[in-house]
Amino acid sequence: MRVLIALLAMAVLLSTGIRTTQAATTVSDRCLACHGSNKIVESGGERLHIDPVRYAVTTHSFIGCTSCHDSVSSRHPNEDLRPSRARCKECHGPIQAEYSKSLHGSKAICNDCHNPHEVKPAIAVSGYDINAKCAKCHDVQKTVRTHAKWLPQADLHIEALPCITCHTGSENYVITMSIENRKPGSPRGDFKLAAYDELARLLPEGTDVQRLVDNDGNGLISLQELRQFNHQVRKKEMRLWGMMTPEVVTHTYQILNNRWDCSFCHASGPKAMQTSYVAFPDKSGGYTRLPVEKGAVLDILYGTPDFYMLGTTRSTALNVIGGLIVACGLMFPIGHGTFRFLTRKNRKEHRS
Amino acid sequence: MKHSVYLTPMPVRIWHWLNAFGIVTLIITGLQIRFPEYINVFGTYKAAIRLHDTAGIVVSISYVLWLVYYLFVAGTLAKLYVPTTEDIRHGLFRQAFFYFFNYFVGRDNPHHSTPESKFNPLQKVTYLMIMVVLLPLVIFSGFMLMYIAPLRELILMVGGIKTLVGVHFLLACCFCAFLFIHIYLATLGHTPLEHFKQMWDGWEEEEVQEKLASGDSSGTTH
Repeated sequence: MRVLIALLAMAVLLSTGIRTTQAATTVSDRCLACHGSNKIVESGGERLHIDPVRYAVTTHSFIGCTSCHDSVSSRHPNEDLRPSRARCKECHGPIQAEYSKSLHGSKAICNDCHNPHEVKPAIAVSGYDINAKCAKCHDVQKTVRTHAKWLPQADLHIEALPCITCHTGSENYVITMSIENRKPGSPRGDFKLAAYDELARLLPEGTDVQRLVDNDGNGLISLQELRQFNHQVRKKEMRLWGMMTPEVVTHTYQILNNRWDCSFCHASGPKAMQTSYVAFPDKSGGYTRLPVEKGAVLDILYGTPDFYMLGTTRSTALNVIGGLIVACGLMFPIGHGTFRFLTRKNRKEHRS
Repeated sequence: MKHSVYLTPMPVRIWHWLNAFGIVTLIITGLQIRFPEYINVFGTYKAAIRLHDTAGIVVSISYVLWLVYYLFVAGTLAKLYVPTTEDIRHGLFRQAFFYFFNYFVGRDNPHHSTPESKFNPLQKVTYLMIMVVLLPLVIFSGFMLMYIAPLRELILMVGGIKTLVGVHFLLACCFCAFLFIHIYLATLGHTPLEHFKQMWDGWEEEEVQEKLASGDSSGTTH
């Protein structure tokens, strides 16, 4: 009987939830009819424009526009009233409390980094995009210079890590690889993150961009698929670029003591290099990541040819070859020395 | 009887010990850099990296000095290091046969070092390979690894950072193997420390048979 009641309660809750979401979507659709249209930009309201595709994938789209802008009435926009805006802490209280205690708390508000109409979970944002937000206040060159005082190859570290990999309370990290290509218009032809459209053009229409690497479409990228991709893309001016990204993001921005010690990352051993992902861009400007076969980052050459972290991504096969070379060098003194010792009388007799 | 030959001029000796010290430092720091969870000789990882980079620069500069000295000051690079046709046709085999057979039965070394012909054919081939191929390659790959971000394009041209690291590591293993053989062979002189002494003060003392002291060098022993 209890089970039956529980099931009934769940059904009621679910249907209510679905109805709420549907209602929110209907209201939001009405808002986006104006705010999602380019007409609002043309009429000078660029600030009020919301990209419907990007908004659709945010968690905020599920609760709908009026959840935050609750003073909007049916007479909007003809009423002489600026719609209210919810404060982030009304929903994100614990994060706000954590953030306000951080060094950033008095320097920037939530919206300075997070556009509520485009906000995505951390794993759906590329490392570049994360760093681009930091670079709004922290000049990259200046950041490189200040880090170079204590950090070897500071430019490389800042290029290969989102700032929050170190400036966060996250204990662990994973390797996230992104597809980059050379932009034809770029003066130096530098590699930059490939956009969804650029990758979609490489595949038959309607094919998911993930199929570029995940050939069999099983949602897991094998080492073989990774190698195959890396073999092919060299000619297409593309590459996979790996970044170390934190698994959990906090808003404390402190540097954990172990981050000052290079060995936290570089001596974490091949075991720490087991988990990796490839992040694919999607239409909304975010990223969807697919898991990669365990240990693929440690492949000798073609698994991830442009990702290497001293001390940790060393290849076992290469270690064995290197060890054999050194052993050959040792064999000569040992072998020759042994015969030399055994035949010492011959030489003495010859000299006398 | 014994007599001494001045085989190694001071600039070469300074280069040799600078290079030796640098290579040993590079090998030990390199071990810590590659296997940090097992080997910690220099305290911190950063210290190992800094020392590795510094030793790499020292070895690179000493290599340039060696090249300039032999090419432009002494002008004996080709004469001392490039094997002759005779060396390749017979000398290599003769020298290898000495090391692997004749040495054990007490026969003489077929090569007699003089300032004009310091190295036996095997040494010539080995040193030429090391100084003209391996050392420039390890220096070049190490230099690229020191400046990854600015030299990204160049690194991509050689096949990516993993290829570069792989080549650098295998070359380092070759140097390590060479070091063992080199040090061991240095003990095969007239006395076990003779060649070490020679590389310290430049003079090599050798035993010369009475009849050869007058000029015939074909029977000189080491």
